[in-house]
Amino acid sequence: MNISYDWLKEYIDLNVPPEELAKYFDQIGLMVESTREVNGQTVYEIETYANRPDTLGHLGIARELATLFGLPLKMPGWQLSELEQSTFDLIDIQVLDSQLCPRYCGLVVRGVTVGPSPEWLKKRIEAIGLRPINNIVDIGNYVCFSLGQPLHTFDLNRLKEARIIVRRARKGEFIRTLEGQLVELTPDMLVIADDSKPVALAGIIGGEESGITEKTTDVFIESANFDPVSIRLTAKKLGLSTDASYRFERGVDINAAPLGARMAASLLGQFGGKVSRGLLDVYPNQRKPRSVPLRLKRISELLGIEIPEEFVTRTLTSLGLKLNEQKPGVWVAEIPSFRVDLEREADLIEEIARFFGYDRIPSEVTPTRSFELPGNQEQDCLWLLKETLLHYGFDEVINFSLADPEKEKIWQTGYQPIELRNPISSRTSILRTSLLPGLVENAVWNYNREANGVHIFETGKVYFWEADGQQGEELHLGLLTSGLKEQKSWAQPARETDYFSLKGAIEDLFFYLGYEAPAFEPEDHSFFESGQSVKILTKNETAGYLGLLKPEIRKAYELEKLAYACELNLADLFDRQPRAFVFAPVPRYPGMVRDLSFLVEAQVNFQAIDVQLKKLNVPYLERFEIYDRFEGGSLPAGQISYSVRFFFRHESRTLLAEEVERAMLNIISHLKSTLKIQLR
Amino acid sequence: MSSLPEKIEQYRQVLNDLAAKTKNIKELEEVKQAFLGRKNGHLTLLFEELKQLPPEEKRAAGIALNNFKMEVQKTLAELEEQCLRPRAEKTVSDLTLPGKRIYWGAPHPLTLFQRKIEKIFVSMGFSVEDGPEIETDYYNFEALNFPPYHPARDSWDTLYINDKLLLRTHTSPVQIRVMEKKKPPIRIIIPGKVYRRETADPTHLPMFHQVEGLVVDRGITFAHLKGTLEYFIKALFGEKVKLRFRPSFFPFTEPSAEVDIECLACHGQDSQCRVCGGTGWKEILGAGLVDPQVFKNVNIDPEKYSGWAFGLGIDRTAMLAYEIPEMRYFYENDLRFLRQFNRR
Ligand SMILES: [Zn+2]
Repeated sequence: MNISYDWLKEYIDLNVPPEELAKYFDQIGLMVESTREVNGQTVYEIETYANRPDTLGHLGIARELATLFGLPLKMPGWQLSELEQSTFDLIDIQVLDSQLCPRYCGLVVRGVTVGPSPEWLKKRIEAIGLRPINNIVDIGNYVCFSLGQPLHTFDLNRLKEARIIVRRARKGEFIRTLEGQLVELTPDMLVIADDSKPVALAGIIGGEESGITEKTTDVFIESANFDPVSIRLTAKKLGLSTDASYRFERGVDINAAPLGARMAASLLGQFGGKVSRGLLDVYPNQRKPRSVPLRLKRISELLGIEIPEEFVTRTLTSLGLKLNEQKPGVWVAEIPSFRVDLEREADLIEEIARFFGYDRIPSEVTPTRSFELPGNQEQDCLWLLKETLLHYGFDEVINFSLADPEKEKIWQTGYQPIELRNPISSRTSILRTSLLPGLVENAVWNYNREANGVHIFETGKVYFWEADGQQGEELHLGLLTSGLKEQKSWAQPARETDYFSLKGAIEDLFFYLGYEAPAFEPEDHSFFESGQSVKILTKNETAGYLGLLKPEIRKAYELEKLAYACELNLADLFDRQPRAFVFAPVPRYPGMVRDLSFLVEAQVNFQAIDVQLKKLNVPYLERFEIYDRFEGGSLPAGQISYSVRFFFRHESRTLLAEEVERAMLNIISHLKSTLKIQLR
Repeated sequence: MSSLPEKIEQYRQVLNDLAAKTKNIKELEEVKQAFLGRKNGHLTLLFEELKQLPPEEKRAAGIALNNFKMEVQKTLAELEEQCLRPRAEKTVSDLTLPGKRIYWGAPHPLTLFQRKIEKIFVSMGFSVEDGPEIETDYYNFEALNFPPYHPARDSWDTLYINDKLLLRTHTSPVQIRVMEKKKPPIRIIIPGKVYRRETADPTHLPMFHQVEGLVVDRGITFAHLKGTLEYFIKALFGEKVKLRFRPSFFPFTEPSAEVDIECLACHGQDSQCRVCGGTGWKEILGAGLVDPQVFKNVNIDPEKYSGWAFGLGIDRTAMLAYEIPEMRYFYENDLRFLRQFNRR
């Protein structure tokens, strides 16, 4: 809303110079976004709020300043030079829907000469950022930006039968607006019609065929009040937003309608116009002023400071409220019709705080009666997870949750995607069902910008329709590793990332978070190269996948380099309680180490050996590690050589060599019988 | 039987032979033991022998033996130094070459900044809550006192899924969800992603991060809101930062306020400043006392309880703190940008 300093002076004798006014606006919550000079007058662009339609005119803003500065508000009188005829003789008004049009006022002005506005009016119109058009249109805008009451002016002679009917549109009716747009109307829309057809979209925009032209001499001024919700629905539906609809949908003062008509008629008198006798005012259900109780005690209870009673009454009275004291410190406030926002005691307390000044309210720390026990394990788990991955050299990324349906299709994530009804673009029209597409795009972006390795992770939600039609959100972890992991330096050669770097990070993730080690089962997946991916299982349930991204996906994103990726469902994981941590005694007796090298058929993977060894439950076996593995060379085809190191220990005495030898024999015979190993 | 001086001569030979062979501390220990061992050490035995000598021989032999003892100690000390000294290939010829460093990944700046905020509030006894990003109209708007069809909704441009579901436009719906479940006192913050139907520009993107705070208890006042937020902002931006509270409007708070901090780029000194537009102030958060209608919607009696709430854009605040000119940097995920933030 543009506010002109000179215009304000029509209503208030400001004693603050224009350059200092901005800070006072800010102080009472009329935030000045910019200050400009227009034709030598200072114009402030003020941010107004949806609940304050009274600030959409200079009068309302002047009222705020009058309260702040303790100055009186000046109300000009509007002299009318009248005709012989009464308004009723010149026009016939019927309001058929007083729900959607609670008040309709009008006056006829005859003998007007349409022409350019005088300089003073042009200056006003330019100050609010509009272009002067002609004296009649400009007066309409002048009144609108003075009182906040939108007007519409009709050429009386273009209204069929000089009749105005305020009614809902009929099915199949059309109107061509003043902007030349042909609009199809529906029965939920309120129109202003003449005897035959709609001539204006009520409260939004006029029709071309009834508008003012250069030849107009007789004008009908409409100054009405329309239902905010109806105006908003119609304006939204038609994609129209005008100065009028902007005000009506916020709620125009019901008592501004007669004033608006009179003010416009009086001004038209300057262009030869004579005004019909008697204001036409259709207002069948008169509204009573709202009453709101106010307690002095409650003001200090909410603001945390005692506000003098004299300040309270002076401020509210200046804002137009009538205070009726019930008993000391208790009032019933009668709210003026232009303040549609004041409904409850809290609203009045805000007015008092606003004018008292937020800076004069003290600052105190919020007292506490009790503290919650530290909870929310998920936040802690998530941070620990991130720290572990950072330690592994993964950088954290955050991608948009909005995704491109065409690109997501390639992944076949298996989730039913959620589509947006009003997306910003077709490329952001669904919610992501996997974190990996974003990570691949990040890899491409960085490879195109000097990177020779990308190791990244993201934690965030994926979204989908559940089988039962409910919306689902699931916290996931995505990782991607590609290219050089360590750069070549004077001290060491470059090192490429690989499958095991990623798998190791995942294994450690479970370890550091205190969860049981997951199982990795080779299984093909739509994201990965055939035979090059594993399913990650926790407690026999699928938690995610890890593998080498398949060429079709890399091609779709133009990712030339190989990339390993992993996606894990964290929601299920975090639902589980990690194992409680208690320390294990440090060994007091020396351990013994034995190595075993053997050959096994190539189809036996390490996990099979691992499972067999764990199953066996060997006494005193502390742990075992695979320290060598090779195939080919001098080995028979289809055979793999493993070397495993076993660590034995007794917790309360030194082990005997025979005990260890016996255990090793046990291991060997078990592996021979189950996996057909051959010792080397 | 050889004489004591002869024996000394023999052992000198033994010492020299052993010294030539000794390569490590363990072997050195054996040599030490052989000569200085308390019971059978060569020197120990030689001194025993010395005691048996007649006085006329004792003096000369004593001098010789003491000299030998010093010789042994000197040789052992030299040997020890030799054993501990690193081999040539273990030493560095150019000590100024760059060291071997281990790369730590960088946390995303928004994660970093969110954690800073969380820490400040957790230290004041707040707990961290979260909630769904796909919300219903009821939680996102109606329960927060946005009437249906009210223009107040225009400031919260919404991405809809269908008539019932939308992407939350702020973290405030979690206020409602928590108040429905929990009785006061309540002291929470809610960080998370929010969505708006906005075309991208330097300070607007369709997705960004917000943190919401809520306190509900008996006797909570606007002064408490001011004091707590002042503490928070100073903890975040430093003790010297100037701030101001301005009246504003939000449907879910009454009275409402916006908080500005002084422009960190120009401190109000540059009328052409690109960060603050010359006003000298940057808006960083919206706040207010919880609207009585919001309390009624969750069955909390506004006559008994009062509360305050605030909402802050994490992205925009991080932009101010780190002097990042455009919001898109956060979501491009350029490693050259992200990796600056492992200098936490
Ligand atoms: Zn600045």
